Amino acid sequence: MKEKKKMSLLAKQSAAGWVFLTPATILIAIMAFWPMVQAFIMSLQTGSSANLQWNDPIFNNYTRMFSDKVFMTSVGNTFLYLIIQVPIMLVLAILLAQLLNNQHLRFKGFFRTCVFLPCATALVSYALIFKSLFATDGLINAILVNLGILEQNYNFLGHPTSAKAVIILALIWRWTGYNMVFYLAGLQNIEYSVYEAAKIDGANGWQTFWRITVPLLRPTIVMTFIMSINGTLQLFDESVNLTNGGPSNSTITMSHYIYNNTFGTGGVSNFGYATAMCFFVFILVAILAFINMKVGDTRD
Amino acid sequence: MKRKILSVLLAGAMTFSLAACGGSGDSGSGDDAAAEGGAGEGENTLTVMAWDPAFNIPALEAAAADYKENVNEDFELEILEQAASEDVERAVTTAASAGDYSNLPDMVLFQDHYIQRYVSDYPDAWTALGDIDINWDDFAAEKLDYSTIDGEHYGVPVDNGTVVCAYRTDLLEEAGYTIDDLTGCTWDKFMEIGKAVYDKTGKALLCMNADGNDLPYMMMQAEGVSQFKDGKPYITENETLVEIVEKLVQMAKDGTLLMPNSWSDYTDKAIQGDQVAGVMNGNWIIPTIEKVEANSGKWEITSMPTLEGGEGYASNGGSSLYITSNCHNVDLAKDFLAYTFGGSTETYDNALRDGGVISTYAPAGETEVYQEGVEYFNNQPIYADIVEMGTNVQIVEQSDYHYSARNYVGTAIVNIINGADTMEALQEAEDQLNFEMGN
Repeated sequence: MKEKKKMSLLAKQSAAGWVFLTPATILIAIMAFWPMVQAFIMSLQTGSSANLQWNDPIFNNYTRMFSDKVFMTSVGNTFLYLIIQVPIMLVLAILLAQLLNNQHLRFKGFFRTCVFLPCATALVSYALIFKSLFATDGLINAILVNLGILEQNYNFLGHPTSAKAVIILALIWRWTGYNMVFYLAGLQNIEYSVYEAAKIDGANGWQTFWRITVPLLRPTIVMTFIMSINGTLQLFDESVNLTNGGPSNSTITMSHYIYNNTFGTGGVSNFGYATAMCFFVFILVAILAFINMKVGDTRD
Repeated sequence: MKRKILSVLLAGAMTFSLAACGGSGDSGSGDDAAAEGGAGEGENTLTVMAWDPAFNIPALEAAAADYKENVNEDFELEILEQAASEDVERAVTTAASAGDYSNLPDMVLFQDHYIQRYVSDYPDAWTALGDIDINWDDFAAEKLDYSTIDGEHYGVPVDNGTVVCAYRTDLLEEAGYTIDDLTGCTWDKFMEIGKAVYDKTGKALLCMNADGNDLPYMMMQAEGVSQFKDGKPYITENETLVEIVEKLVQMAKDGTLLMPNSWSDYTDKAIQGDQVAGVMNGNWIIPTIEKVEANSGKWEITSMPTLEGGEGYASNGGSSLYITSNCHNVDLAKDFLAYTFGGSTETYDNALRDGGVISTYAPAGETEVYQEGVEYFNNQPIYADIVEMGTNVQIVEQSDYHYSARNYVGTAIVNIINGADTMEALQEAEDQLNFEMGN
């Protein structure tokens, strides 16, 4: 008891801090970090999942993926989605946020709900809806044929280019509203007086947007970029449910290929190789996030 | 201080107990499942995993009723219904990966093409049938080839994957042909007829889902050729395969071969949407064809065309029953399998009546039920015909990488249709397959 009295205030606080930290730390270590270590060990192994053997050479799974044409196709597809879809989506999101942030707009709540609503749909169900919309005998074909734009029904999901386009379209529909909410929140943190001052100085809408809105939104933009990149690199549901990776692997994503190697057809279950590919994705996400943080760093 | 340390310990202990609770919860549910599957149950009960309530589950029920009535009146067969065959595969994969087989039932129904790979990957998951009392000569040799590994029988055949070529006789007639013209014809003749049918009726004589790729495999089996030779991929040097791929590409361009995007498009839109004049697949496709009631009486079945002419026979799909290593009463399971699917025409008659399951057991094909004409198929006795065709299917080399090979060849075909060079696309398929096999 005497010892307790000797504890300084600082020591007490620090002890309390540790008490609060311990449970969460232990849980995270058990639930997240330990599986990661195990996954890394597994990524150095090969063979059936009941009888994993050490690879020879030990990093064989990692070198192997670079000569795997399907995996390289999946990396290419994923980056194509990333490069085309993310900028379009974020620009659309920022424009929508700007529109909806207008103080004189009526039914603001209604419009916001409408734009955000796609995010409330489950990934699988929206992918299936897009699949039926773009089916050869689907709604889009019926409209285009009736308008005379197409002569006969086009198999959108059966051709590599159009299948990719449909996936990108679906992604934009699904995620624009989600990102818009972040921008709306960011915009509402910008003092209206800043805009008033700019107006008095004679800035037009374009200048206000680029000189005030974008710089002040920078942290939000960086965050949405990182989240979108992360999300796109892990794209799975759309590839599986909309096109099943087809035609001939032209729309398959990295996660989908990893899944095919673990639970795919024919009892493949190549866990070692699949986890190695997971680590490749992990490293990609880390690198891209790092670049993004550097680019978005506001400190000089 | 002591109290603080104590509280830290307490908090830690709570976390651990939480984790431990999770752990014990897991093992608890494991015990439950084991009770369902393994030991502890009565001596007369077996459990089995199957997946299709309209197809293989009625067959199992028929077998259980047969065994109960004629052999052991206390017998119970508990069928653990799964949503799809993949669920059975996943259950085995998961159990084997964890090294804990206690969650597996006594027996599983398993897809023929997958079993070789599963036995080689997870040898501890299965119980070989050994001295089971079955006269294997009564079964189609090709069917047994799947479930026989290193000369050891692992499975008892349940259904039959013999390929049927079903054609709309009314549409053929419109184009000036009969089903006899398509029986034992060459693929060139088939393409000619297909073109005539397409021009007259707008319907395709052949259909394959673009991601399904089983058609080239069936066509090759009818020639007695495999995608593998001596355990190695046999693709670019395989003249039969190259020729078949070229024919398929040509048919796709002619409109003779319809290629829906997925399996569900194949069954729901192409076949049930009445877009086809012919269907070529394992006979389990028949219930799908029969769903278009308006076409009753207009279909008939025959064998496959071949490259050189002459009737071709192949098999696609189908499943067998396997005893797992977790079976708590192997003798009962063996006796049950030997009595029912191993040689009871009563089981097979009821399986056919209730589930449309056709057998590869030759004596079953002689019973009255099998000899009956089927109204939908213009009163042709298709079941007896199918059992008969099944005995003619040639054995071709099987491989653990069967599905991978099919996938890569299928991908190549789509690429060729989209403009890739035939040999380059096939070379890529072969490289990719070699790569996956680690050659």
